[in-house]
Amino acid sequence: MMQIPLTSDIRGTNPGVNRDANTDTIMMHVLEGLVGYREDGTPDLLLADALTVSPDGKRYTFHLREGLVFHNGQPVTSREVVWSWRRYLDPKTNWTCLADFDGTRGAKIESVDAIDPLTVSFTLDRPQPLFLTLMAAISCGGGAVLHPDSVAADGSWREPISTGPYRISSWVRGRYIDMTAFAGYRPLEGEPDGNVRGKTPYERHLRWLIIRDASSRLAALVKGQVDVMPEVPAAEMLQLRRMKDIRIVAAPMLGAYGILVQDRNPLLADLRLREAIAYSIDRRTLARLVTEDTADANPSIVASASPFGVSADTAEALFDPARARALLKAAGYRGQPIVLTTNRRYPAMFNQALLVQAMARQVGLNIKIEVLEWATQMDRWRSGDFQLLSFGFSAKADAAQSYESILGDRDASPGKTWGDPEARRLLAESMMTADMAERRKIFSKLHSEMLHDVPFIGLFSPADTNAIRDGVTGFRSWQFGRARFWGVRRNGTPAS
Amino acid sequence: MLKTRPSGIVGMVVLALVVSAAIAGAIATPFDPTLVDFSSRLLPPSLRHWLGTDEWGRDVFSRLLSGAAITVSVAGMTTLLVTVFGALLGAFSGFVGGWFDRVVVALMDAFLAFPALVLAIAMTTVLAGSPVAPVIALAVAYMPYMVRVVRANVMTMRQRDFIAASKVMRNSAAFTLVRHIMPNTVAPVLVMATSLFGWALLAESALSFLGLGLAPPAASWGGMLADSRNYFADAPWLAIAPGVAISGALLGINLFGDFCRDYFDRKMKD
Amino acid sequence: MIRYAITRLALALPTIVIALFLIFALIRLIPGDPAQLILGETDDPAALARIRAELALDQPLAVQFYHWVTALGQGDFGKSISMESPVLDLLVPAMGVTASLVIPAVVLAAIMAVPLGMFAAWRQNTRTDTVVVALATVSLSIPSFWLGLMMLLLFGVQLDIFPVVGYISLTEDFTQGLHYLVLPVLTLALIEAGVLVRLARASTIEVLQLEYVAHARAKGLSESAVACRHVLPNVIGPTWIMIGLVLGGLLGGAVVIETVFSLPGLGRLMVEAVFARDYPVVQGCMVIVMLCYVGVNLMIELTAPVLCPALRYD
Repeated sequence: MMQIPLTSDIRGTNPGVNRDANTDTIMMHVLEGLVGYREDGTPDLLLADALTVSPDGKRYTFHLREGLVFHNGQPVTSREVVWSWRRYLDPKTNWTCLADFDGTRGAKIESVDAIDPLTVSFTLDRPQPLFLTLMAAISCGGGAVLHPDSVAADGSWREPISTGPYRISSWVRGRYIDMTAFAGYRPLEGEPDGNVRGKTPYERHLRWLIIRDASSRLAALVKGQVDVMPEVPAAEMLQLRRMKDIRIVAAPMLGAYGILVQDRNPLLADLRLREAIAYSIDRRTLARLVTEDTADANPSIVASASPFGVSADTAEALFDPARARALLKAAGYRGQPIVLTTNRRYPAMFNQALLVQAMARQVGLNIKIEVLEWATQMDRWRSGDFQLLSFGFSAKADAAQSYESILGDRDASPGKTWGDPEARRLLAESMMTADMAERRKIFSKLHSEMLHDVPFIGLFSPADTNAIRDGVTGFRSWQFGRARFWGVRRNGTPAS
Repeated sequence: MLKTRPSGIVGMVVLALVVSAAIAGAIATPFDPTLVDFSSRLLPPSLRHWLGTDEWGRDVFSRLLSGAAITVSVAGMTTLLVTVFGALLGAFSGFVGGWFDRVVVALMDAFLAFPALVLAIAMTTVLAGSPVAPVIALAVAYMPYMVRVVRANVMTMRQRDFIAASKVMRNSAAFTLVRHIMPNTVAPVLVMATSLFGWALLAESALSFLGLGLAPPAASWGGMLADSRNYFADAPWLAIAPGVAISGALLGINLFGDFCRDYFDRKMKD
Repeated sequence: MIRYAITRLALALPTIVIALFLIFALIRLIPGDPAQLILGETDDPAALARIRAELALDQPLAVQFYHWVTALGQGDFGKSISMESPVLDLLVPAMGVTASLVIPAVVLAAIMAVPLGMFAAWRQNTRTDTVVVALATVSLSIPSFWLGLMMLLLFGVQLDIFPVVGYISLTEDFTQGLHYLVLPVLTLALIEAGVLVRLARASTIEVLQLEYVAHARAKGLSESAVACRHVLPNVIGPTWIMIGLVLGGLLGGAVVIETVFSLPGLGRLMVEAVFARDYPVVQGCMVIVMLCYVGVNLMIELTAPVLCPALRYD
């Protein structure tokens, strides 16, 4: 049995309903949808083997792979696909991603129909080039296809009966989650790729131990009580790098960390002040210190690993203390305090705030740090009640989703710090085209607009950092930062 | 007196040191305790940085001084509040007895049933960053302990001969309470108060450990100790400095408490 | 005595209701919205409203309180917001974990502390006394998480005697379960022993100065007889009350030790519920902690006079 630490218990097993990052990690081993993500974050077919899109871009027809079975042994047919999707689209299900498919944000799914036992079609009210990306979203349960027995007769959730390489065999709350390899699993052939290909469950049993404290997790790894430690905090890196029988597997993630800047207050309404803050920060040094050299600077909200990200070198030119001082002088700034809100739940958010404060001080800015508990900070974020807010956005598959988290209707969503009409038009345009070159141009324009308005000061893209004991092979980090244990085995585990 | 109890002198000296550190920390420190210096991270102790630097290159000695001001005032104010109000309430309740006593006990039970942690989070968020928030939260959490110990002591005392004698002499209840019972309660109150000071000091570090961030980004001893554990192997001085400070301050206050108790005991006998 | 017990219980009842209302209101006074935490960084007002409605968070506070209390009266603790489970299913196992940690620890602490405290008092102002007081002071001065981590590093990692993290319940596998509990119980006992040693010592010194001890000695009783017959009963009283306080406080407050050793106890459950603004779970934990607290203290109050005649009520 392979043991893996989990930082906190999962919230539930109902796909995309009551979830957090850990829940997503666990459920990704259990659930599979029509499409999934490849290593680079682009969508690819998973339970389907063929897809046709109508010329008007409004009708997606999937053909299911033959011979697939659910965890309960029942065959996978179009009936279950239709049942699953109609359930997601029912507001009563409380699917967190409903707004991506009911017309709130973009297109609406008008109907899901079974054409024959292995063919399903989705009809949209307008073209949606990002449709597959949205369907595959890990936080939505990847649009998992479920057997109707997952739900009790009264409609309440029972357990996930899907098609993934592992099944949850027991879940003891607060202690561990046990998984058993699904004997009937038929991996898509090919080299391991994303959560699509090469998903062979070599280890028959996985046990995810819930270990809240980082030092205790590290002690468990050193002792060999666990084999892999995902999500290594930067502060533990110093110790880990010195250890002989442990190696680090890291890759840049699709997330973005930075400072949200609220211009709806008298002080920061002055663009020069916002710019001065942005120019005062040496992102290279900050990224190096906050992440212990595991990640690089990134002035954008789009991750550097994304095809639409900006190069880390551009951060260099954006560090200009002389210009920051000049801007402050021009704005007549006299040391009025600016409050930077942060929390201690996520060390990177706290540490980046500390460094921003220190760097801004060098040009004469007086930033005061306010530490809130995480849920309280979330409240502040949602209501827009802050001056500067230290924040980290989780991995987003598409650059448009990254911009969406700060850009939009600020009266409806006060948490957004950017409402510029031209930028919003560009964002909408980026969602209506699938052409790479065209989209690259749009996102490049959006990036310059963001640097100009300073609604968000991008600092770095975090890395997915894992510590692995020697003897464990096949573990690969991922830009979504979700640890995957199919394809992984320890010395002595027979090849199945 | 002091000659027979040299530990009393030690206690006073340590306490005086802690208090002067707190005063110095409030006025001026060799370096700015919040000044981040990327070029001098995790430096071992040297002539320039007496106690080394932390993971952000901040001078540990300066942080220790400014932390003293915060830590000592939080723990001290908590202890003062609890001692004054807790001892009065406990003594009165134990002396009067009857329904009043039962109501007090029931109320204290209700407060004790609130784990200190929940109160601390609630108070600090409701009072939104006010510096007195941790003091109030901890005082409310620890008050019942003082009340119950004093009350138990007073109830024991009521049985004693000299109290009965005082009653026979028709002394008023208030006179008996103030003249006979209160002085005899000084010792347990002092022992309790010294423990309380320690609890308050430790509670702050426990809350920091749980990531509740009671303390502002300015230094506090508990926060420094909690943060140091990530660097224990690489920079042990980060843990030693606040650890010694916490333990030293506690040792000082405890020795001082013992000294006071002996002093009162002798005075009583004379 | 039975009448007293009933009176105490009757008195405790309004206190509990008041405390319930306080916690109900207090946890809702803290900023932070459970519905938003479920949504995470998704900014979707419609979904937020839907979730709030489903959790009945959109109803007036009084209505929510009424529903909760009436359900509680029927033994229904409600359903967790952040975890799809009835609150009771979370509470019972967590309670078991905490009890198997806290009760042995307090017993162990008392067994170590009371004789040690009395012994030191007997040898007041000698080197023995100084050492005991110093040890007690050290125990008081070490943050529990620090001691826990050191124990974990020394016995768990370096010497490799005990498992580092995890938990197996005693009912599942008794020997294995014990194996997992040794380090946390020992840590907690060492932490709690300090205050008990000091209290036992201070009480002993008080009693030793009383006249009847001098009388007993004058009568030619041996020191051990004096200790057992005359001093111990008077020392047990305050110590016993302190044990009650410590035990009651720890049932909900062992969270630091639970965190260090990854024990899924009640304190851990409650703190995580506070972080997740999982109101029903926080409230459920509070009810359990309060009931335990009142129970433990009633027991202590009823037994204290038996152990210590001076505390006898009229």
